[in-house]
Amino acid sequence: MSKIKMLPAMAKLRISFVFLLYILIKCESANVDSISSDIRLKNVDRLVDISSQLVKITSKITLENTGASPVKNFLIAIEESAKNNVAFVGAKDSNNKDLKLVETTVKGYEYVRFWRVELKDAINSGATPLVTVETVFTKALLPYPTAITQQEDQLVKYIGNLYTYSPYYITSMKTSVVLNTKSVETFTKVKPFTQQDGMIQYGPYPNLKPFSEKELLIHYKNNAPFLTVTRVERLIEVSHWGNIAVEEVIEIEHTGAKLKGPFSRYDYQQDHHSGPASVRSYKTLLPAAASDVYYRDTNGNISTSNMKVKKDSVELDLRPRYPLFGGWRTHYTLGYNVPSYEYLYQSGSDYLLKMRIVDHIFDDMQVDEVVTKIILPEGSTSVKVNLPYPVTRLPDSLHFTYLDTKGRPVISFSKKNIVENHIQDFQLRYTFPRLLMLQEPLLVVGFLFALFLCVIVYVRLDFSIHKSEHPHKE
Amino acid sequence: MTVEVQPKTKLPQLSSDKQLTFIKLAVLSMAAILSFGTRLFSVLRFESVIHEFDPYFNYRTTRYLTEQGFYNFHNWFDDRAWYPLGRIIGGTIYPGLMVTSATLYNIMQFLNITIDIRNVCVFLAPFFSSLTTIVTYLLTKELKDEGAGLVAAAMIAIVPGYISRSVAGSYDNEGIAIFCMLLTYYFWIKAVNTGTILWATMTALAYFYMVSSWGGYVFLINLIPLHVLALMLLGRFSARVYVAYSTLYCVGTILSMQISFVGFQPVQSSEHMLALGTFGLCQLYAFTQYLREHLSPANFELLFKALLTTLLATLGTALVALTLTGKISPWTGRFYSLLDPSYAKNHIPIIASVSEHQPTSWSSFYFDLQVLVFLFPAGLYFCFSKLTDANIFIILYGVLSIYFAGVMVRLMLVLAPVMCIVSGVAASSLLSLHVKDIEPKVEKHEKKKKHENNLVFRSEVGALFVCVLGCLLISYVFHCTWVTSEAYSSPSIVLSARAHDGARIIFDDFREAYTWLKMNTPEDSKVMSWWDYGYQITAMANRTVIVDNNTWNNTHISRVGQAMASTEDKAYEIMRELDVDYVLVIFGGLVGYSSDDINKFLWMVRIGGSTDRGAHIREADYYTPSGEFRVDADGSQTLLNCLMYKMSYYKFGLVYTEGGRPPGFDRVRGAEIGNKDFNLDVLEEAYTTEHWLVRIYKVKPLPNRGV
Repeated sequence: MSKIKMLPAMAKLRISFVFLLYILIKCESANVDSISSDIRLKNVDRLVDISSQLVKITSKITLENTGASPVKNFLIAIEESAKNNVAFVGAKDSNNKDLKLVETTVKGYEYVRFWRVELKDAINSGATPLVTVETVFTKALLPYPTAITQQEDQLVKYIGNLYTYSPYYITSMKTSVVLNTKSVETFTKVKPFTQQDGMIQYGPYPNLKPFSEKELLIHYKNNAPFLTVTRVERLIEVSHWGNIAVEEVIEIEHTGAKLKGPFSRYDYQQDHHSGPASVRSYKTLLPAAASDVYYRDTNGNISTSNMKVKKDSVELDLRPRYPLFGGWRTHYTLGYNVPSYEYLYQSGSDYLLKMRIVDHIFDDMQVDEVVTKIILPEGSTSVKVNLPYPVTRLPDSLHFTYLDTKGRPVISFSKKNIVENHIQDFQLRYTFPRLLMLQEPLLVVGFLFALFLCVIVYVRLDFSIHKSEHPHKE
Repeated sequence: MTVEVQPKTKLPQLSSDKQLTFIKLAVLSMAAILSFGTRLFSVLRFESVIHEFDPYFNYRTTRYLTEQGFYNFHNWFDDRAWYPLGRIIGGTIYPGLMVTSATLYNIMQFLNITIDIRNVCVFLAPFFSSLTTIVTYLLTKELKDEGAGLVAAAMIAIVPGYISRSVAGSYDNEGIAIFCMLLTYYFWIKAVNTGTILWATMTALAYFYMVSSWGGYVFLINLIPLHVLALMLLGRFSARVYVAYSTLYCVGTILSMQISFVGFQPVQSSEHMLALGTFGLCQLYAFTQYLREHLSPANFELLFKALLTTLLATLGTALVALTLTGKISPWTGRFYSLLDPSYAKNHIPIIASVSEHQPTSWSSFYFDLQVLVFLFPAGLYFCFSKLTDANIFIILYGVLSIYFAGVMVRLMLVLAPVMCIVSGVAASSLLSLHVKDIEPKVEKHEKKKKHENNLVFRSEVGALFVCVLGCLLISYVFHCTWVTSEAYSSPSIVLSARAHDGARIIFDDFREAYTWLKMNTPEDSKVMSWWDYGYQITAMANRTVIVDNNTWNNTHISRVGQAMASTEDKAYEIMRELDVDYVLVIFGGLVGYSSDDINKFLWMVRIGGSTDRGAHIREADYYTPSGEFRVDADGSQTLLNCLMYKMSYYKFGLVYTEGGRPPGFDRVRGAEIGNKDFNLDVLEEAYTTEHWLVRIYKVKPLPNRGV
């Protein structure tokens, strides 16, 4: 009896032990940092570019180590109101070299998103190195009013932080907001500020406490294309016969102010200022070696596009079938071939594929979701992927096409909220026995051989049950 | 020495038999490849795209079949068409085409040949015309000889009358039906010639395929009984024919009734009665022959007379009774219009409004058949000169199809193969007759001498004749290529024109509009347009339409016609009644596209006025007092204020279309429009394509009370 009673207790103990272990492991694996009181931001020069559909903030930060011991890293913080809009965070040192960033958390500040920047050289006591931090936010500009007629300009609202949001004490900071327009409805007026030539300058503001916030609101005209790529499916098909085929299935929506009332083709054709917020066309840049480009949708070829071959890229001037007004959507497939020698490296039976995870669709693009699929030649094994930033790896699958017997391995991964800064290469290593190259030609040869053999046998042999009444003449 | 030896070692040792087989194979496979290749003009010039109207429906159903499987396809109730009625797709189509391409698609998928279903659909018709070429060869071989077969195969490979319905992208029933038809004929001739049940059953199977793919099978099931009747009348009826026809009729009828669209028609409708009657007659004929063998002539005479009168009497009364009680369905309009070309025009405006149902003009015979028109009578002569069971069949087929092709442009398709077959017979016979003369030495000496004495310049005349015929055939090739390239290879979904500097301008407005509808309107929107565009809207825009090209409900189409022909407020009532969200019109006035809705408008008025609810719409109101249809200031006020006019010309009055003309100059009608300055009250412009070819309007909701 007692044994039976004891068992649950033992089990409980064991469970709690496992739980403890789990927490321990979890604590170790998740980054937890603390805010160093030694670091101060001596000067922050912040440039907020809201002239496109993105909010691009570039801060030139002069760090200062007021402590005694050298500091290897520092933290970047994103305020709670903007933390879901962050698409990209990057940092560079004074030599314009990329610094390593790791997302992290700080106890007590769970509502804030932190990144830890690993510096190349430790900051010694009293040193003041310069670091440039770049952050890109998507969907941070809200059209207001939310619906406009064809003739009206698009007005958007930007709500941000007047100060640099930082876990450290800031000695002095300045903010310049680039609008590229003089027509500003309202904007936050916190002295000192100046407004000139599509630019508003705030500051310098001295002595800011850590995590200080003040609302910065700018309501202004922004007719830049507000196009959101809601989904891109990028398919890369590698062939060892010298070709890599790339196909992108793209869904685009105009996420600016919605079109209210009728669309008048007469006004649109007569007056080129009509529909200022609409998008007639945009430019897509493809790799310079791209050839056999096609641009079509489910109803067939889209005949309105131009291709210009430039020195370092192929520029496609894509015109959707119809101009895109607020709330209108379009969908198309863009595909091309590139020679494999530019992207595929080989040593013996080991291969290395280096290509972009996502490619340029238009300038200042914002992409909700990218799914990249890489189809490797049949028989490729031991695949290893190396990615520049974290993505969601999707389960591997098999793809069957011409002359396949056991299917081609497909590696796929997806990532949400992507901007131009994410156009970076992935590296994919795999092994492929070179002898397998002969498989497909041999398959064709074998099939034809069997076919001819059958014909020969059929023609030479007599399958009739009884003998023909008229034997062949001689 | 060496010179003599070399050719012997170089050439493989082929016996003349093998050489002949090789040449035959080469000619036939080249004809088959040519027939595929010549149909690809539109793919090369434009792209691999489905053409015109009906093919879009077939394409959409095929896609459904491949995605959902056969049983879902069979039970498919389509709520995207004929709102609010819907359409039972499975029971109202001939599924042969869709099943064929879905089968091909699935086989290729199984073999890991990943071809898009659209490409299967686009290239199905050229593929089947290659098969048709081969079947034509086999059929003509049965009729005459292999030489005639090869000529006929080469001819049918490029005959424009057939190409018109089978270019790449023209994914329609006719594309495979002609193959099925010729295959059935081939098996039938085989069955008649051999009298075996095997061939007769094969005929029945081919007939089943034909029934499953095209409504034109009625022609076939009337032609074969007619052949049997003709054989009876000519005293050529034999056990072979009896076996062939009895088997074909029994098996074929049962099989054809498996197609749900056909159902019990083979035993009920009058179109099939000839086949049934002939079947009965066959049994009687065979029975009398049996009796004649076993009875004395006097007894037989008495029995025969008595039996004949009673039978005729009972049959006659039964037929009348069944027709009166409605068991045998009344003859349908389309069939009447075959017998009486003016029937449709007087009675059914929807049938008359379709251009392919118009009577054929003389010129289009030449346009579609060229040299075949002249070779055909010669071929008939050769058929008559050596009358066989098979020849009688081809003579019947030729004569009947000439009549039907004269009635309806569309049936040129049925005529084209027989023209090729008979002309093939003619060309081959003529050529073999005269080619022999050119080389007199090869022939046997005795006979040759006799002939040579009869005719002077025998070989020269022969050579001249061969040259003339050769020239004619070459001109046929050029003509066919030209016609195919110029007349039958435009997809009509993409239009192209030449600019002043010779550059090609593409008008892609249809797809622009359909894509706009697909992407930017709510999923459940109802689109009203004239029925021509129904199939395209459902296939490309995936939106519900009120009426489409399957013109099964006259009153519904008439209702749409009434809306188009009424004033705005009256039309609004109809549109509210039909739950319309968007209205789509085709307008060619800006670029000069003549088959637009204003030019079709009189048909809308006629069809709109043909039912009770549209009695207030009178065609005469839309003409000027002098009886003209004009859109300018002199036009009738009813026309200038109707919905169609307003939708077509909304804001058009401001546009300068041609230099030196006032604004609002319609380039199709060649007139300045009469009603320029108007606003739309119940509609708002939702989208107009780049060249104004398609204009889409949104129906405004009812205004709020008190506003």
